Amino acid sequence: MRLLRTENGNYVFRLGAGEKELLAVVLSLYPVIPPAHQPISNSTGIANKANQRLLDEALAEQRSENKKLVSSFLADTQRFHETETGARLTITPAEVEWMLQVLNDVHVGSWILSGSPGEDSPRVIPTDKNARHIGAMELARWFQHDLLVALNRPPEVK
Amino acid sequence: MANTVTPAVMPDIERDEKSNSKSEKEPGYLVVCWNDPVNLMEYVTHVFRSVFGWQKPKAEFHMLQVHNQGKSVLVRESLEKAEHYVHQLQKYSLHATMERDE
Repeated sequence: MRLLRTENGNYVFRLGAGEKELLAVVLSLYPVIPPAHQPISNSTGIANKANQRLLDEALAEQRSENKKLVSSFLADTQRFHETETGARLTITPAEVEWMLQVLNDVHVGSWILSGSPGEDSPRVIPTDKNARHIGAMELARWFQHDLLVALNRPPEVK
Repeated sequence: MANTVTPAVMPDIERDEKSNSKSEKEPGYLVVCWNDPVNLMEYVTHVFRSVFGWQKPKAEFHMLQVHNQGKSVLVRESLEKAEHYVHQLQKYSLHATMERDE
């Protein structure tokens, strides 16, 4: 997925053959990070039930909103413009933002499910059980990287 | 010396749980982002810029601090604001917490 140009503040991407389907597969996995996964604090006194509940509720609400956005995006058949070599996709800056959140959730969540490999042992051995998580993690990272490159790079001259 | 007399009316010293105490309104809470081996460096920089409205150099400075030193103190705020920022950072799946500034 590469940025072709910006148009009226929106981003126009070119997707290669099969990338449209892969993007849809990755987005449809959302959410992957288990609920109530992260603590609000490590400090005694702050890490209490009330503060943790507020965080968990805020994350659940955001997850629900993002799920609606993903469903709406995937159901919109006019979203992709088919080309001879693949497809063209136009997305707004707000869509880039939620898409980054969604892709990172799939990225981090799949990393957790594949055994949270650390920096000391970055390679995780694929097995029947974790192969799909590793695949999802890599795909999400790939699309995430493409969006971030687009945000930081001037558009290509066609 | 005469014994002190217990007053008939005692001052209300019970803490009102609903209202913020003075200490909660003071900027005594740190928002900390912790390193992990999964989040992309460019993504972390992007999130810092989005959540705090920072320019790229400042966002990159904190991102590198997280990467190289294991954590970075991003802001020092009141309890309410620190909580807000931690919620925002965790919405982007970053490992962020708020800690009391001892």
